[in-house]
Amino acid sequence: MRVGILGGGRWGQALARLVIAAGHKPFIAWADIKPPHVLPNSRNPPEVAAACELLLVATSADEVRRAIRLTRPGPRNRVVVAGRGIDPTTGAWLTDVVLQESDCLRVGALAGPSPVDEILSGGLCAGVVASRYDEVRSLLLTALHSSRYRVYESVDLTGVQLSGAMMPVVAALHGLTTSLPGAGIGMEALVLSRGVAETIRLGTALGADSTTFVGLAGMGDLVASQARPGHPHYEAGVALAKGDTTETSPLKLARAVLGLARLFNVEMPLTQGLVRVAEGTAPIDVITELMQRRPSMEYR
Amino acid sequence: MPNAPQDAGLTGLYEEHPRTDIVQNLVMRAQKRLQGLPEPELDRLLEDALYQEKRRLSRLRPPPQDDLQALDDLSRALTRGDRQDRIRAAVDMIRPWANEIHGRFSLPSYRFASKVLPPVLTALLSAQTSSLKDVGITPGRRLTVDGDKELLQQLAREATLILTPTHVSNLDSPIIGLALTMMGLPPFQYGAGLNLFSNPVMGWWMSRLGAYTVDRLKQATMYKDLLKDYSVQQLTTHHHSLFFPGGTRSRSGAIETSLKKGLLGTGISAWQENLVTGAKRSEVYIVPCTLSFQLVLEANTLIEDHLEEAGKQRYIISDDEFTQPRRVVQFLKRVLSLDSSIVCRFGQPLDVLGNPVPVDPRERAEAAEHRLGYVTDAEGRVQRDEQRDHVYTDRLADAIVKAYPTLASLMSTHVAAWTAWRLLEKKLPGRDTWGILRSGRYQRHLSRQAMLQALARVMKQIDAGAARGAWHSALPDTADELLDIALDRFARYHRSKALEAKGDEIIVSDPKLCLYYRNRATFAELEV
Repeated sequence: MRVGILGGGRWGQALARLVIAAGHKPFIAWADIKPPHVLPNSRNPPEVAAACELLLVATSADEVRRAIRLTRPGPRNRVVVAGRGIDPTTGAWLTDVVLQESDCLRVGALAGPSPVDEILSGGLCAGVVASRYDEVRSLLLTALHSSRYRVYESVDLTGVQLSGAMMPVVAALHGLTTSLPGAGIGMEALVLSRGVAETIRLGTALGADSTTFVGLAGMGDLVASQARPGHPHYEAGVALAKGDTTETSPLKLARAVLGLARLFNVEMPLTQGLVRVAEGTAPIDVITELMQRRPSMEYR
Repeated sequence: MPNAPQDAGLTGLYEEHPRTDIVQNLVMRAQKRLQGLPEPELDRLLEDALYQEKRRLSRLRPPPQDDLQALDDLSRALTRGDRQDRIRAAVDMIRPWANEIHGRFSLPSYRFASKVLPPVLTALLSAQTSSLKDVGITPGRRLTVDGDKELLQQLAREATLILTPTHVSNLDSPIIGLALTMMGLPPFQYGAGLNLFSNPVMGWWMSRLGAYTVDRLKQATMYKDLLKDYSVQQLTTHHHSLFFPGGTRSRSGAIETSLKKGLLGTGISAWQENLVTGAKRSEVYIVPCTLSFQLVLEANTLIEDHLEEAGKQRYIISDDEFTQPRRVVQFLKRVLSLDSSIVCRFGQPLDVLGNPVPVDPRERAEAAEHRLGYVTDAEGRVQRDEQRDHVYTDRLADAIVKAYPTLASLMSTHVAAWTAWRLLEKKLPGRDTWGILRSGRYQRHLSRQAMLQALARVMKQIDAGAARGAWHSALPDTADELLDIALDRFARYHRSKALEAKGDEIIVSDPKLCLYYRNRATFAELEV
């Protein structure tokens, strides 16, 4: 099978390696970053859409719309977005962006730990593909499942995409709080578990399955790659603690998720806290306020 | 009520295909499906049929002997027979079902009705006209019909149509029949529950005018599969069909927000079957449609059923107003003597995936070509995938549900009931629906002045919504007029009044009826 990959960056290259490991041929469509010549590629994305039934979108979340516009998938294509769930600019699910920008109907999302360097150097990993279409999950499984990369299936498209969007936020919160003076392991545990808890709260309000968030797309992603020093999402939080309010990917996602939470009247104090720090509130004040919130049930 | 055939070749209602052929075709479809099932699945299906049929027959006094025999044969085949015995027993059970479903159409009755009934119903439903030609599609008459007549006529010629109306009353089918006539469309066939035949006059006619029989007491999956097969078979032979996708009459009075997908999904199956066989007119289009009534014949029974806990289980109502010919006549006499008491509106046609069908013929042809990609492989071969088709049908159902409010007409009775109910909610804070229903009559008095002021505010919102295409308004110009019309309508037919005037006060006399009519306006989310 020939598998189209939209995006020639490192994530696109990692996915191409996984396609090869599963015994198939990748075909990378690129616009800005040319992949190494050993990986078959084209600067003509529609050519890739025409040649491949299955397309994997491997761009950053805010590039998905452009990638789809350039590629123009058609009715025969199945498109799986291997990205961060939500378009930070519009707050739309990335699979909805595909539906809005193309004639493709059969879409899905791939999420989970994505340690690109490890995958490129042959490390073992796993992911979860969600789609309402059995055939989309089945095609993705054929394209990627191998002894190097296990693919699990889910029908919880909302949960998988929300996990993808929220884990960078939780990772940045982790980076932010652990950089504060006096923060210890208790603080780390608090932020990580409550970050997941508020993700579950929003997810269930949106009709997602709460178990998705403790699976590969949620906890798996968080533990394996994001909540550790050196990861860009973690470092975005560290930078925030130091007063650098650059609009990083986790911040954009946090704002988009908060938009959703407001629509569904769901409280997300930690995510809100991250945004408040970016808007100028001192991190210590935010943490103090969060700690002084009235007691509540752990899950409600 | 179908009109005279414009092109007899358009519909198998005219028995282009002999009855035995259709029954045989259904049996073959069922046989093929059963043979394709793996062993455990086949057994599950047959065990389900055995269980459901035993239940059904245990409620019949006396149970039909033939059905008992078929049940015995299936039971024996399941315990002692091999795979072929079981399939044979299942097919023996299916054959009389197929006969029953397709069993009642009568060509002479149909021909007679095509000539006689449209003028009769037209005279009954229209202000002064007695001839079909005079009816036209103009507002201000008792039945107002709206829709893109030319497009629908064209699509009826080049494709097979599925009409998917909202459902509030058993009178819907004959009224839609007349509306189809007024639109110059060919006849549509529809499934009618066996219980509907309990009204001897209506039942006799329905059965002979394109209604096929659906026995809702038959709950076996095998029976439901047969109904779907029948629908596919009929659609592929270019019978335009009418499904009520809500499944049954709306008990609450509200417009349907979720649909049953079983029959709806036969549209995409028929389309693909047409593609495989290379049928000339392969397209199947879906036409959403709403019926808006000032008053509903069975309102009392329906809202009671909605409110009763047991109502959830009471899928088939066999003792409502529709079964009492005197009540039907009373309703027709008192309600249909009014102008614009019913609005039937046909929406923009959709394809089987829920996309709007282009009006321009060239664009329509391109869209049809483009649509193939959703079900074919790179070589253009149709790839059947039931699960994929379920998701496509969900998409179609969403599109129909979205279309309904935009086609609905808000009428005086709905708006007055909505407004009165909201004022009651404000007057009795903290009470939920049940609390308001249980309130004493003395608590349900509203000042006429407050009611008129609230109605004026609501009417503004309705006008704004109608202007942006969110719904249609069938309201008079002023709040005074609206209230008078609503009070008049509520006093016309129902034994108790939803609202009545006493001096300077408006009383919610029958809160259940008020709730029923109020629910029709729920989708508009109006504020008083």
